[in-house]
Amino acid sequence: MNTAQIRFATLWRREVNRFMKIKKQTIGAPLLETFLYISVFGAALGSRIDKLHGIDYVVFVIPGLIMMSFSINSFANNSSSILQQKFQGAIQDQLSSPASPLELLLAFSLGGFVRGLLVAMLTFIAASLLVDLPVDHVLVLIPALFLVGFFFAQLGVLIGVRAEQFDDVAFAQTFILQPLIFLGGVFYSATLLPEPFQTLTHFNPIFYMINLVRYGFVGFTEVSVALSLLALTAATAALFLVNLRLFGRGYRLRA
Amino acid sequence: MHRLRGVKALAVDKLEKRYPTGVEALRGVSLEIKPGELFGLLGPNGAGKSTLIHCTTGLAQPTGGEIQVFGHDAIANYADARQAVGLAPQEPNLDWFLTVAETLDYHAGYFGMPKRERRERTKELLETFSLTEKADERTRTLSGGMKRRLILARAMMHRPRLLILDEPTAGVDVELRLELWHYMQRINQEGTTILLTTHYLEEAEQLCDRIAFINEGRIVGEGTSAQLSARYGVGNLEDAYLALVGRKELSRSHIEVEAEPVS
Repeated sequence: MNTAQIRFATLWRREVNRFMKIKKQTIGAPLLETFLYISVFGAALGSRIDKLHGIDYVVFVIPGLIMMSFSINSFANNSSSILQQKFQGAIQDQLSSPASPLELLLAFSLGGFVRGLLVAMLTFIAASLLVDLPVDHVLVLIPALFLVGFFFAQLGVLIGVRAEQFDDVAFAQTFILQPLIFLGGVFYSATLLPEPFQTLTHFNPIFYMINLVRYGFVGFTEVSVALSLLALTAATAALFLVNLRLFGRGYRLRA
Repeated sequence: MHRLRGVKALAVDKLEKRYPTGVEALRGVSLEIKPGELFGLLGPNGAGKSTLIHCTTGLAQPTGGEIQVFGHDAIANYADARQAVGLAPQEPNLDWFLTVAETLDYHAGYFGMPKRERRERTKELLETFSLTEKADERTRTLSGGMKRRLILARAMMHRPRLLILDEPTAGVDVELRLELWHYMQRINQEGTTILLTTHYLEEAEQLCDRIAFINEGRIVGEGTSAQLSARYGVGNLEDAYLALVGRKELSRSHIEVEAEPVS
């Protein structure tokens, strides 16, 4: 490996090492939480609901839960990691190294992405043991999950960089992200909602992400797959460019 | 930029730093440190010492002027400039999640050092700074003195040519302070250029080849300890410093020593 590769690998390894050192909190807790959702909404409530659009309710719900695990963990990892390092001052060690803004941004982003991917994969494996979970459109599923993970990893970086106290991160996650995810159709189909909530759901960007992932697994969607993929790609690219600009300027990182 | 011809370890020219709050921390600072020098930067709190260091290491972005580290522009060619610098900051900015050994290993990795070399260098510096027994302990469990040692070891990990020590002996016991003095002198004799900021004037007098006084964002005096004393018309560096900050009345020469009672 050359110098730049060693540098990037170390920056990324530090991010992965951080969440692996507290894996009960960063891997175990989200897995348990998802398992509880599957148990309560799938097994208990699902036995009353029967089928949604011809799909077993528990199978309908699981793609949304996988997407939710991926997104929340990607986001939470990066926002916490950056804020903690800013708080401790430890981020100065990376900032005073020869690493470029692009290297720093990618390393921070990939830390959260890997954690999200790990939790999502474990959720998928656990769910597959409990129910017969199909993968109907793998060529949609893989780019959709990749984009969802990377989008929320970027969002986590953005919030972590902007945040000045832990409250700022908690606010973004609890009062913005989680309501959008829950109201984006993880547990239900938008067609079941009365107006104006059905129309309002279409203004929630996460609704499109959930539908993409659901389409990848069970072949059902309430939105255009091509359009959703395109919009998600554009949104992820835009967020990445915003973050790159912030890192280049040293926004709230360098005095 | 005529002042920066000829490679200096650090060449700062008309450096300015104005924070978004409007505070002018640096107002046209110029100074040069020759390769191999042990250079002291003295000044009261808030004078601009740390800001100058942060601008040199990329932790702050200058709003005017120029900095070169061994001929590399610290802005335009920041990667080469930062590669040449090791920073031991004033505040212990250690990562609580990492062990002592990991702290050193990651730092060297950020500077592109290969794995085998990192392992050997980590072992060497753990021994040098009496940290071998603490290698696998998390940094948050270390005492203040141990943290100070680790910060210095971390700054040395990638073998910087310019070592910047921002008040390295603040709050440490006498034994560790003297250990650090010996270490600074040794690595300086081995060729590492050192920029030292300190509030301990005897430390600067004892260790530094040359000293600069910085006050209100400006370099107001530069030279050897004797030259600075002569400039302010006083007998020692401490009185020169007190003259600089306008507190001559605090000079030790004004303290009356009570006669020992004769039994």
